[in-house]
Amino acid sequence: MRIRAALIVSCFSFFLFPFSFPAAAEEKKPEEKKAIVVPFELLKSRHMAVMVKVNGKGPYKLIFDTGAPTNLINNRLAKDAGVLKKGDKAAMPLFGMGGAKVMDTLEIGDVKMEKVPVMVMDHPTVTAISNALGPIDGIIGFPFFAQYKTTVDYQKKELTFTPNGYVPGDAMQALMDKMMKGAKGKPEPGVAGATGLWGFSVDKADKDEDAGVVVKDVIAGSAAADGGLKAGDRLLTLDGRWTDSVADTFIAASLVKSGSSAVVVVKRDGKELKLTVKPTNGL
Amino acid sequence: MRWHIALALCLGLAPCALAADDKPATKYEIPYRLTDTKHVLVRAKINGKGPFNLILDTGAPAVFITKPIAKKAGVDVDEKGWGTFNAFEVEGGLKVEKVKTRVEDLVQIDGMNSMGLAGVELHGVIGYNVLAKFRIDYDFTGDKLAFVELKGFEPPSPEKIDAKGGDDIQSMGPLVKMLAALSGIKPNFEVVPRGFVGIEFDDTKDGIVVKKVLAGSPAEKAGFKTGDIVTSVKATDVETGKDLAKALAKAGVGTKLRISVKRGDKSEDLSIELGKGL
Repeated sequence: MRIRAALIVSCFSFFLFPFSFPAAAEEKKPEEKKAIVVPFELLKSRHMAVMVKVNGKGPYKLIFDTGAPTNLINNRLAKDAGVLKKGDKAAMPLFGMGGAKVMDTLEIGDVKMEKVPVMVMDHPTVTAISNALGPIDGIIGFPFFAQYKTTVDYQKKELTFTPNGYVPGDAMQALMDKMMKGAKGKPEPGVAGATGLWGFSVDKADKDEDAGVVVKDVIAGSAAADGGLKAGDRLLTLDGRWTDSVADTFIAASLVKSGSSAVVVVKRDGKELKLTVKPTNGL
Repeated sequence: MRWHIALALCLGLAPCALAADDKPATKYEIPYRLTDTKHVLVRAKINGKGPFNLILDTGAPAVFITKPIAKKAGVDVDEKGWGTFNAFEVEGGLKVEKVKTRVEDLVQIDGMNSMGLAGVELHGVIGYNVLAKFRIDYDFTGDKLAFVELKGFEPPSPEKIDAKGGDDIQSMGPLVKMLAALSGIKPNFEVVPRGFVGIEFDDTKDGIVVKKVLAGSPAEKAGFKTGDIVTSVKATDVETGKDLAKALAKAGVGTKLRISVKRGDKSEDLSIELGKGL
């Protein structure tokens, strides 16, 4: 039980409550491209704790969590920092769900962000850790750290944030869309297509359990042929991704940046070869 | 004399020790994907089996996998719900030996899978006990994460804490499954290849100009010629390569389509049956 209590804070069950965030204002890109170092405390539960200010109030101790798709604060912090205003609807009884709100400002060390979406909720796991280890008032997750190149170093106990211009999508909205769309029985399978024209095909026999797929045809004059791919090669990885099935091969090719070349590793005559293929613009 | 020998040994050894220390720490480029739920997903093989889809989660104290995955990978589970991977390889070439794992059917994972919310089937999470061994760069403008081995650093184990109520969220499992059933949402994690056309093109101000038709491709059989300008797929106009890719995004192998091209002054309707390949 004790072990379990230290359990996953993240991937929490927001999916039970489909509602969308208030349309968050266009997230402002931080002006400076300078790396900002923020120390963290390694809790006994081995969560990372950072000190943050919300709406200029605080500091509060929150858990930094790469597995959390949203930011989350408890009702205490939300009231204290004025994220929940007087007259706001009372929290739902289940875990004190206060719903989706916006923090006017969020400061973590020297990082300052404006109009940050947050979920107000007394998350049971956060509460449990808080009871055991002192006040912990929430979670900092994807909508924050995705906007930076984020380096996590447990040896130095440091987080380093460098603005990278990435605009995190709205996980909540995507879920809403899926739930609206999904209710019509079993959806069609996903279709994966390459981002460029390679000019080869792959196959795998049903009972073939080994790593990789077999390269069938390589079209003369194609990017694959130019890169040195040959029919009969065993394709092991494409752009660093395992190609253990035909579908995985297509998924890997769908994730190659358009216009970039990719390293493919094949096994030929018992030897592994590293080839470079630059898919052309086409399909 | 003895003292001299000892000194000599020390001197002799010191450079070796330094040299070993100077060796740069191993850096891994780990391919990842973001799920529809904005979880950072990597793939890993456990005891040579898989690949399995695992979320990078600093909020978890250890690796967690579900019971069916433990069974598939041949992981023995003790009475307290712990097991050990003899071999653990993360896509991108990162290998860790003797990884301790928790084996449990987590409501978070089951819930997301029951409705297919992540857009991909989830099999578990990689937590602190593995993540802390590396300095990790998360940068979602790139398609790989950088993992640098923290040489000589042994992450301290989680300490037992007396926390009550942390399991409350697990008790919601049956509720999640019921909601999933009520919602009528059924997941489909299957992925099929897009059908193959076989044209190389340039995006120009005149539109999508066919630059090359690959020999023996479905495009060649359909009668595409170099210099054709692709104008529509089925009845949808296309002006850029992006439009074209979008129009064909859901077209699997064997799909029959009418594609219109402008050839000189004339417009031609070509019938194509998409093939296998990429």
